[in-house]
Amino acid sequence: MKLFMGSPTVKTRIFCAAGAALLLALAAVSLLTGKYPLTIEGLWAGDEMQLRVFWTLRASRTLVGVVGGFALAVAGFVYQTVFRNPLASPDVIGVSSGASAGAAAGILFFSGAAAVTVSAFAGALAAVCLSLALSALDRFGKSGTIVLAGIAVHSLAQTALMCLKLTADPERELASIEYWIMGSLNGISGYSMGPALWLCAACLVLLFLLHRPILILSAEEGEARMLGLSVGKVRFVVLLAATLAVSCIVSLSGLIGFVGLLAPHGARLMTGENDSGTMLLGGLLGSVLLVWADILARTAAATELPVSIFTSLLGAPFLVFLIFRGRQGT
Amino acid sequence: MSFFSVRGLSAGYGKKTVIENISFDIKEGEIAGLLGANGSGKTTMLKALCGILPHEGSCVLLGQPLEEMSPRQLAGLCSYIPQRSGISIDISALDVVLMGFHPRLGLLGRPSQKMRQKACEMLKLVGLGGREGENYRHFSEGQKQLCLLARALAADGKLFFLDEPEGALDFCHRFRMMELLKNRVKKEGKAAVTSLHDPSLALNFCDRLLILSGGTLRFILNPKQDSPKKMQEKLSEVYGPVSLHRCRNQRGDEQLVMLREPQEGKETWKL
Repeated sequence: MKLFMGSPTVKTRIFCAAGAALLLALAAVSLLTGKYPLTIEGLWAGDEMQLRVFWTLRASRTLVGVVGGFALAVAGFVYQTVFRNPLASPDVIGVSSGASAGAAAGILFFSGAAAVTVSAFAGALAAVCLSLALSALDRFGKSGTIVLAGIAVHSLAQTALMCLKLTADPERELASIEYWIMGSLNGISGYSMGPALWLCAACLVLLFLLHRPILILSAEEGEARMLGLSVGKVRFVVLLAATLAVSCIVSLSGLIGFVGLLAPHGARLMTGENDSGTMLLGGLLGSVLLVWADILARTAAATELPVSIFTSLLGAPFLVFLIFRGRQGT
Repeated sequence: MSFFSVRGLSAGYGKKTVIENISFDIKEGEIAGLLGANGSGKTTMLKALCGILPHEGSCVLLGQPLEEMSPRQLAGLCSYIPQRSGISIDISALDVVLMGFHPRLGLLGRPSQKMRQKACEMLKLVGLGGREGENYRHFSEGQKQLCLLARALAADGKLFFLDEPEGALDFCHRFRMMELLKNRVKKEGKAAVTSLHDPSLALNFCDRLLILSGGTLRFILNPKQDSPKKMQEKLSEVYGPVSLHRCRNQRGDEQLVMLREPQEGKETWKL
């Protein structure tokens, strides 16, 4: 039995504790896995090279895996609830395509990983703002309008991306763009990720605080309004926070598929609820999935593989499972 | 001053006007029933009354125009039960009822233990006691409707808007729902506007009947004062030939019953 609206049940708390324990174990493996071997003894003894690899490469990479998976999953949870669509994700308002176009522009016109990150973030942000601004033109503020605006912005960003690819040097720049789009946690440094992770964390805190209004948004718009919710304003804030969180991660890692779909549905299947505990569990599962996929990306082949290959390998069969399950809601 | 006053209400979808120039008043402690054939504008009128649909005209509750209120102020005064809830996620019955407390909480607030207790009481009142933790989505349509009634009762507004609340309920629960509503309205000085499919239910529980036809308010009947003959004539204009009869149950309580009478000539369907 739960005590308050949206508060987790005992079963959910147990799942969350198990998820957190699994995440800790995987994070420890991730910290020690890679081309340059790290050992606990070496780190404990203060081996300078090992400490440098640990702090500059492994810690930042693992942190982005944990926070990134959490953010993608929570954003997926929020989108599926707000749009009452089990397949919804921040992609529906053009985040991924905006970030891709931004990253491509960064690769072509600027130099350095940080510039690409900033440019990808600016692209994602521009896509979000354009989608929400276009949907605001509808004075009734229907959620369907946001989706339609997102499709238009997605198409626009894809066109921009194609134009940028056409002008790219096929040997070097085009390959970089394609590799970025495939998604990877490789090359993330502590310097480039700081502001993005702080902004992402702030958005996630806001989303957890707004969990109760998010549940009310799952009702029909008229019904939600008659429950006292300023539907248009709250939905705008919620979608902006969810999308900003994703933009922060995508700008660092490139596109990572299926985490936002797989993790929240996995959590709902486990708890049978949509309470705040399930949202937290979804986030933890997202972190587990991304950290695990990143470990596989580093170890499955001699050369490092894009992380999306492994998240998609798990996500695609799960999507088929969801379709055959009969779309029993979110 | 009337409790709830509506003047010149017109509304529709896009350029199509569905209801036009509707005016009526409700006193404290009254239930107004909206009756009419399918497509007569009952749901549109309820949505316009509570501001879900943009409309012309004014709706004034206790001297305050509803059009000037924020969603939170409006929800604090008025409770709405839709024909069918749009909630399609896995959520417990208790959480659905707790949504009714949202107007009293800040955006980031959480329901108190007292609110939770009241929500459980309301679920018990509508016959869903002990099922607080069950998944709302797995309820039958009738149980969902009762859960929404519990939410509206927990919200404790001054005015109830109900859109065919009896639509999915069985014979017994229809009467139980209307009795609950009547008790609440009479004892606590509230009022209700409810559209109903079943004219017999409306005749026995409503203090006045607003008869809609073609998007206009054709008649206002008062079942407690008007003669059955007068009401029969008026209802026949909307439903075709009907007759009203006063019957008594075994305890001797009088009830009005509406019967369908044979149609002379060929009957045609037109909605």
